[in-house]
Amino acid sequence: MAAAAGFLAKPWVRWVAVVLVVVLLVVAPLIFPIFLNQTLARIGVFAVAVLGLNVVMGYTGQVSLGQIFFVGVGAYVTAYGVNADWNIALVFILAALIPGVIGLLISLAAARLGGLAIAMVTIALPIIGVPLAKRLSEFTGGSQGSSARFSSAPDWTGLADDQWQLYIVIAITAVVFLLTRNLVRGKYGRAFAIVKGNEAVASSMGISPYRYKVLAFTIASLIGGISGFLYMVVVQYTSPETMSFGHSITLLASMVIGGAGSILGSLLGGAYYVLAPVITNNIDSSLTAVLQGIILLAILFVLPGGLVSLPRLWRRRRKGDGHSGAPAGGAGSRSAAAATVAPDVSPSAASVTAAPVAATPTPPEPNPPTQSEEKRQDT
Amino acid sequence: MGTFVQLVIDGLSAGSIYAALALAIVLVNQATGLINFAQGGMAVLAAYFAYSFLQWGVPLVLAILLSMLASFVLGAIIERFLMRRFEQGDPDTAVVVTIGLLTLITGLCGWIWSFNNLQFPSLFPLQNINVLGAVVSVRSIGTTLVIVGIMILLQLLFIGTKLGLALRAVAVNPQSAAFSGLPVGRLLMVGWGLAAALGAIAGALIAPSLTLTPGMMDAALVYALAAVILGGLSSPIGVVVAAWMIGVLENLAAVYVPFIGFDLKIAVPFILIFIVLIVRPQGLFGRKDVVRV
Repeated sequence: MAAAAGFLAKPWVRWVAVVLVVVLLVVAPLIFPIFLNQTLARIGVFAVAVLGLNVVMGYTGQVSLGQIFFVGVGAYVTAYGVNADWNIALVFILAALIPGVIGLLISLAAARLGGLAIAMVTIALPIIGVPLAKRLSEFTGGSQGSSARFSSAPDWTGLADDQWQLYIVIAITAVVFLLTRNLVRGKYGRAFAIVKGNEAVASSMGISPYRYKVLAFTIASLIGGISGFLYMVVVQYTSPETMSFGHSITLLASMVIGGAGSILGSLLGGAYYVLAPVITNNIDSSLTAVLQGIILLAILFVLPGGLVSLPRLWRRRRKGDGHSGAPAGGAGSRSAAAATVAPDVSPSAASVTAAPVAATPTPPEPNPPTQSEEKRQDT
Repeated sequence: MGTFVQLVIDGLSAGSIYAALALAIVLVNQATGLINFAQGGMAVLAAYFAYSFLQWGVPLVLAILLSMLASFVLGAIIERFLMRRFEQGDPDTAVVVTIGLLTLITGLCGWIWSFNNLQFPSLFPLQNINVLGAVVSVRSIGTTLVIVGIMILLQLLFIGTKLGLALRAVAVNPQSAAFSGLPVGRLLMVGWGLAAALGAIAGALIAPSLTLTPGMMDAALVYALAAVILGGLSSPIGVVVAAWMIGVLENLAAVYVPFIGFDLKIAVPFILIFIVLIVRPQGLFGRKDVVRV
């Protein structure tokens, strides 16, 4: 096991792995069947949405129930821009910027609030967004929604539409993931982590919790908008239903199931978001909701840290129960556990999340008071 | 004037139902520090229980009481065997667990009783009476009175009884409560059970007007959450007042503010929240959390 870990930690092994993944992503769309391509593209779309949610919630600890609203706004901006014959690059920029600006304005007010209040302000976004989208039918096409066909494959490529769309999604998703990974790994990521851990400590270190909450929320909205653009690339149609409250909480559930505060977890979350309904529908369509509930609860029961913590659990099992030092339930079920994901299996995710945690100068002494204080902050 | 009084009383009645659900949420939050998104789903399940009892020929009042009892037991079981595992962990995970529970319960209700609308008889006669020149349904007044009665009972329970004292002790500090010999686990189960029973009342009161469907409580849950934040998580009376405020204001706004209308009236509580929270982040009646660093 240790040998395998050492092998995986070698730089050239990592580079080979990265090259392999890139080659796979370039070749795969050409050989996969249409249905698989479309499913993968949808996973990419929602992985980006979950990633945005992760920035504000997983990394900065601010519960946001409104992420789907920004996805919806991005989709509507894209539809409107395409139908008005704007340049596609301009449409993309606007689809990211407009939700970003809306997110900034909302967070300027919402970030003043702590804890659950911010959740309640963000819960309002999808709930008001749906009737508002129906009302503003000039821009949104009302309840019928609006469609925009702009992602057909150009002739010179010789690709089918689904392949072309998947390539667009892969390219944009990869860039967004890479940028976000660098963000949460660097100075800003460490600031987010300390704001999540303890706002008072953050302030005492000269890090303004307010400013970083606003920043995180704005970035999340921006990424949500990009996800909305991608949604239009793949689905080519949006309606008020896109941003319904149900979808918003499913997105939140996907983030936690994938693994909060983890880049790889965002990808897994996107996969869960897309695949769970497909799987449950195939098992028994009259039991869809029941099965989805059971799957969600079962995953969290076994893996409170989300799917990314699976390798960790597996390793612990292998090491056996003789390891008395290994925390069996307590620390394992905390989100901090999710932050230190198995370094040998998911190198990128682990180093991303481990960095801010290691750099966080949490005062080591009074452990029990810190915990009870955390709890009080939550109530 | 007649319309105005009618709108206010209907608003109070709707607000009362939100209040019952909001109180249940506060009860759970005070005990365990988490927001239970499944509270509405559990209330719907209770309403279906009552519906089944009615099918077996049990009288309505008894059916509702039995469904409250069943909900109490179910709430306690859910706390013991599902939530207990997540209470000490990451609060985000616990919230998502309640979301999973909501999905599961909604699915179960649809599977067992179908997704079709079912008729649920009203506890109150379907008559209208004249109040200050306005025609007001007995149901609205009855609903409001029932909730006021329950509020008084709850206050008596929490202030006047030993069980209430123990529940409050667990809410304030579970560790100290355990050290002074209280059975914290069992009290948490009682807290969840009480919350579920409260939800059952809300379900039975709202079912006649909305007809019984698995998603019946979704909107009510959103209003209840709004009331919880507006009133302040630590103040049961504040929450009830906030719920009434929301019910009345949204009814008035829907009729008197043309832009809002009936489709956007759900925005009213949130605009209210936004304004109130910027002035008073702890809610209208809540205490400010003091955090030790």
